[in-house]
Amino acid sequence: MENEEEVLATSNEPLDPNLHKKHISMIERLSNRHQIRLDNSLARQSESDSSSSSTATAPTTASFLSRFSDSKRSIDSQLAQSRLTDPAQLRSHLDSISASISDLEKLVAESSYFLPSYEVRSSLKTISDLKQTLENLNSELIPKKKFSFKNKASKQDRDRSVSDSKQTAPGNADSFSVSLEKLSFQVRDSPGLRNKNGETLVKNFKGSEIGEFTVSDLDSCEVRLIGSVRALFVHRLKNCRVYAGPVTGSILIEGAEDCVFVMASHQIRIHNAKGTDFYLRVRSRPIIEDSTGVRFAPYCLSYEGIEEDLREASLDEETGNWGNVDDFKWLRAVQSPNWAVLPENERVGMVQISNSGDGIEGN
Amino acid sequence: MRMLMVGLDNSGKTTIVLKINGEDTSVISPTLGFNIKTITYQKYTLNIWDVGGQKTIRSYWRNYFEQTDGLVWVVDSSDLRRLDDCKMELDNLLKEERLSGASLLILENKQDIKGAPNPEEIAKVLNLEAMDKTRHWQIVGCSAYTGEGLLEGFDWLVQDVASRIYVLD
Ligand SMILES: Nc1nc2c(ncn2[C@@H]2O[C@H](COP(=O)(O)OP(=O)(O)OP(=O)(O)O)[C@@H](O)[C@H]2O)c(=O)[nH]1
Ligand SMILES: [Mg+2]
Repeated sequence: MENEEEVLATSNEPLDPNLHKKHISMIERLSNRHQIRLDNSLARQSESDSSSSSTATAPTTASFLSRFSDSKRSIDSQLAQSRLTDPAQLRSHLDSISASISDLEKLVAESSYFLPSYEVRSSLKTISDLKQTLENLNSELIPKKKFSFKNKASKQDRDRSVSDSKQTAPGNADSFSVSLEKLSFQVRDSPGLRNKNGETLVKNFKGSEIGEFTVSDLDSCEVRLIGSVRALFVHRLKNCRVYAGPVTGSILIEGAEDCVFVMASHQIRIHNAKGTDFYLRVRSRPIIEDSTGVRFAPYCLSYEGIEEDLREASLDEETGNWGNVDDFKWLRAVQSPNWAVLPENERVGMVQISNSGDGIEGN
Repeated sequence: MRMLMVGLDNSGKTTIVLKINGEDTSVISPTLGFNIKTITYQKYTLNIWDVGGQKTIRSYWRNYFEQTDGLVWVVDSSDLRRLDDCKMELDNLLKEERLSGASLLILENKQDIKGAPNPEEIAKVLNLEAMDKTRHWQIVGCSAYTGEGLLEGFDWLVQDVASRIYVLD
């Protein structure tokens, strides 16, 4: 927190006295402008006050603080009540606390432009503490569900998923080809494995200079990625198994159905995944969005030299983050219905992969 | 000055803010809500709003529009497939009346990745030339890994905002 006020070393132009004067007056004007904003927002606020029965007061720092602390007090007491709440009502109780915290966060966001930055920071800190307390309560009072998903999605689900994937296309389909024409470079040149069916695909990054790698449009394939890479994009995979060494930046998965992924990365974002298992090691919290029936377990991959690759990527330690999944479609206190911890007895054992054999080298 | 950083998820917004502020960038989670940083840059105090870019929360961006002086749009240069999403979201943003007075800095991030298209090529795809003529904008290639280009971009933005305020009075 302290170093937020750090002064940045930048190339300062030589101080011409004239320029200096200009700057001083500019700073004055900036602060005048700030005052004008304040006045404007006061005016706006009182207008809206008179036109509605809202109890909101004019947005001064003082009134913000009193509103903020009122809400905080009420959230605190709701939090305290959680332990006494009837278990049947617990979920909705925690959800409503979560909603109140979001409202509070919104209040800060909306008030931020007239608040001194100290107030903004300390209220954000308060909010993050509240969230933490709620999260702790949640994991203490509501045990994480362990469940397994039906192996096959229902027919209806499948039909929907087909139209879903089409749906992402239209906005894209036309305009994408248009913009591709405008690109003076060849997208096809970007390294990757694409459009295969029923094959085993092996790519070894060792000694290569590849920064970003794409795996897309595969059906019933096994993909082995050996060595480390900076960024990995995975797109539209069906019934595939993907085993990957460490990714030093981020993995972005968009569209996966009935797949198994074993991956290590600093960040992972999973969009539109269905009935898919992830064995992960991640330095930050994995996130899912628009996904259902996804399950998580710890990383379990081995190939010759993987320890060194993991160490170099700072991914040699288990962080436990594989289970700290955030579901952007479920920003509530209670466990998301879209993901679960993969029960231990259903996990695959250590997966051993090698460079050699039946694989086909990607390019 | 109030700066708003937006762009698709995974483009590197949070990494950029931390890098500018000289903080550790080794463990960053995707942003669930927003982060705010107050930094002193040159002679100015910047309030930088870094808002999460996941699809679900893009609709909340508008909560942060009010009083924005500088808009920073971050693009992942290596994510060619989503350049169209990126263009669409940017186009929507530029239609916003509340942002119409804001200077626009477009950061083509991740230029350190080999094979990433250069800023001119991306400018073409985003069709930046078609932008409203009254908009002050600038496109800068950068890398939050190496830090390259970040100061160049923010120097421009801060100067542009400052000089606009100048002209106003
Ligand atoms: N190679 C490379 N990777 C980068 C660069 N900047 C960021 N990254 C990586 O890109 C990933 C995403 O970075 P974030 O800063 O979390 O992205 P964001 O835009 O804040 O994402 P949201 O919070 O989800 O909106 C991380 O794994 C970073 O390490 C860069 O300049 N070069
Ligand atoms: Mg972020």
